[in-house]
Amino acid sequence: MGMDRITQSTMSATALRGLQTSLGRVQELQQQLSSGKRVNVPSDDPAATAAAMTFRSQRAADEQYLVNADAAAARLNVTDNALTQLSDRLRGARDLMIQSQNGAIGSNSLGALSQQVLAVRQDVVDLYNTRYLDRPIFAGTAQGSVTVDSSGTYVGDDGDVVIRISGDATVRTDVKGTAVGADTVPALLTQIAADVAAGNSAGVNAGLDSLDAALSNVQQSLGDVGARQARVDSVRSLVDSARLDLTSKISDTEDVDLPETIMNLQAQQVAYQSALGAAAKITQVSLADFLK
Amino acid sequence: MSGFSTLNTAVTGLAAAQRALDIAGQNIVNANTPGYSRQRVLLASSGGATTATFHSGNSAVFGGVTVEQISRVRDAFLEATRTAAGAKQSALQAQTAALTSAQTLLAEPGDTGLQASMDDFFKSWQNLASSPTNSSSGSVVIQNGAKVAGQLKYIGDGLSAEWDNAHANIVSVVSQTNQAAQDLADLNGQIAAGTVAGRPVNELTDKRDLLVRKLAELVGGSAIPGPDNTVSVTVNGISMVSGTSAQSFTLSGGNDISTAVSSPPTILWGSTPVPIESGQAAGLLAALRTDLPNVRAGVDGVATSLRDAVNLVYATGFTLGGDPGATFFAGTGSTDLSVVPTSASELAIASGAGKTDGAIAGAIGDLAIDANASLVLGGGQPPSSRWRDLAVGLGVQVQSLKNATTVQESVVAAADDAVQSNAGVSLDEEMTNLLLFQRSFQAASRVITTVDEMLDTLVNRTGTVGR
Repeated sequence: MGMDRITQSTMSATALRGLQTSLGRVQELQQQLSSGKRVNVPSDDPAATAAAMTFRSQRAADEQYLVNADAAAARLNVTDNALTQLSDRLRGARDLMIQSQNGAIGSNSLGALSQQVLAVRQDVVDLYNTRYLDRPIFAGTAQGSVTVDSSGTYVGDDGDVVIRISGDATVRTDVKGTAVGADTVPALLTQIAADVAAGNSAGVNAGLDSLDAALSNVQQSLGDVGARQARVDSVRSLVDSARLDLTSKISDTEDVDLPETIMNLQAQQVAYQSALGAAAKITQVSLADFLK
Repeated sequence: MSGFSTLNTAVTGLAAAQRALDIAGQNIVNANTPGYSRQRVLLASSGGATTATFHSGNSAVFGGVTVEQISRVRDAFLEATRTAAGAKQSALQAQTAALTSAQTLLAEPGDTGLQASMDDFFKSWQNLASSPTNSSSGSVVIQNGAKVAGQLKYIGDGLSAEWDNAHANIVSVVSQTNQAAQDLADLNGQIAAGTVAGRPVNELTDKRDLLVRKLAELVGGSAIPGPDNTVSVTVNGISMVSGTSAQSFTLSGGNDISTAVSSPPTILWGSTPVPIESGQAAGLLAALRTDLPNVRAGVDGVATSLRDAVNLVYATGFTLGGDPGATFFAGTGSTDLSVVPTSASELAIASGAGKTDGAIAGAIGDLAIDANASLVLGGGQPPSSRWRDLAVGLGVQVQSLKNATTVQESVVAAADDAVQSNAGVSLDEEMTNLLLFQRSFQAASRVITTVDEMLDTLVNRTGTVGR
């Protein structure tokens, strides 16, 4: 706009406007620096807000997946230990049975061996009743606090226990009681103990076959649990690196670039100071100063 | 022609110079008075009588100088431009203020917003899924559910309060408008009377122009010049002030945010709605009628979709005691959402009666994934995504309003400069005028002295021959 006439009031209005604008920029930068955030409200940068909110939500989910993965890993560890011990115990029973097959053994010794088999049976029942976080690990989703009750009956339901360990992966953390012989092995061992005590060689032989089959099932489950543990580990490390990546992305979208913002602030301060200087100089003089 | 007439001529010069100095003084002292327009003395030389009379003879007689008019320098077109620009700026500022507060309520993006609470809520379901018999995990689920509901209520109530605030503002705008219209009509009366009587009305006219600006900033009125220096003000064809009579406006429509859509607030002249397009009222009406109710509806949408998604999954579950699940969230919107179960044992987290698992808790936790939530809602938009859209949509709106306000500010500044450049007082100019008219005064005085000396010569020194 062509301005044919300049007055003191337009000049001071212009100077004031310039100061306001400059000071406004200084304030904006100072706010960014003191909050550390470039995006304080959505209108600061709507696109960055959308990204930051999505990233935050994903990071929160990932944090939970890590917790879940840890819980899954812990439960699988407990299961792994229980299965390893179970397999040891069953081998122990097998040794006892082989000893009992020795023709030179006396009936007293057979009685002792039978007692030992019964002791193994008790250990095995205790192992089937192993608990994690107060829940029997081989009972599936059944209610109650045991897998095998005091009478040796399997009370589990083989239900799946599934935990989500990433946005698109879940893992089963249960081992079905029937897959590791919780429904058959206690009774089998009771039968074997009776056969051993009675010196029933044919019965013991048949028992050996059944025990071998159970042992092989336990080994198979151990392998399965090991594979699942490995899977949880690998998914966990993927999720963890995704989480770290999201954290740095959130920082990139929301946080101020410190060196750049400080430089900008310096520049704005210089601009503000020069505007102040100019305003002070311009408004100082008037014709009144030169009239006598 | 006589020496005495020259004295008269000089005296008119003295008077004119004094009057001009007077005006320069008035301009200088009002240099910073808001709305003041500089005044100018229009001088005119007055000649002698042009018709021949007995005494005039053939020599010219000069009548000296007269002050024809004290004019007020203000360009009506520049003033109208400034007024319209100011009205538009007020509208933008009012709307921006209302929406900025709404935006702050959302507290996004950050760790304290609703998004974070919903994430926490879904996380606690996941935790419960991995330890279904842990009653403290169950309590955390209930507490986090209550936290989400509480936050939604806080935002919903905050939006209501924001609406009430804007409504109180518009009530005040309407009463200020009516007052200003009445004041303007009164001033019109004084100006017309002064103009007819030939009294100076410049200062009153300045005041009147300020009132026109105020009316424009309130409801976007524009001025039309009338007879005897009066103006009429209309708001998009509805007459507010006509001469010395003023109309008053009333506000109708809903009194709270829940009735804002069914019965939108409207400014009425009698029973005719006033089409308000600028001024504070326009911005406030936009916020009251659409912007704030839209945000509120968005928040309610988040609340109901969260309720539906959670409840749909929850209803398929059973408590560890074997009872079927009913509802987790009750309520109809953001302000009345509540958690139904009160203790961990009431939570329906198992996939079947008589089962001890957290499959349903896990499925509710999985609602954090938008695709799962959308599937549960039968293709509906999931709560997290609704919330993001709401926050980002509001952000875009506030950003564009702020940009428009910045642009409008420079338009107003340019219009202001133009008005000031025309009507503002330049101290340098007035100083120069002081010098000029001081010299005029001195010169006119010199004329009197000269004539005096001439007469002295004539009266006292002539006719002394032979004395």
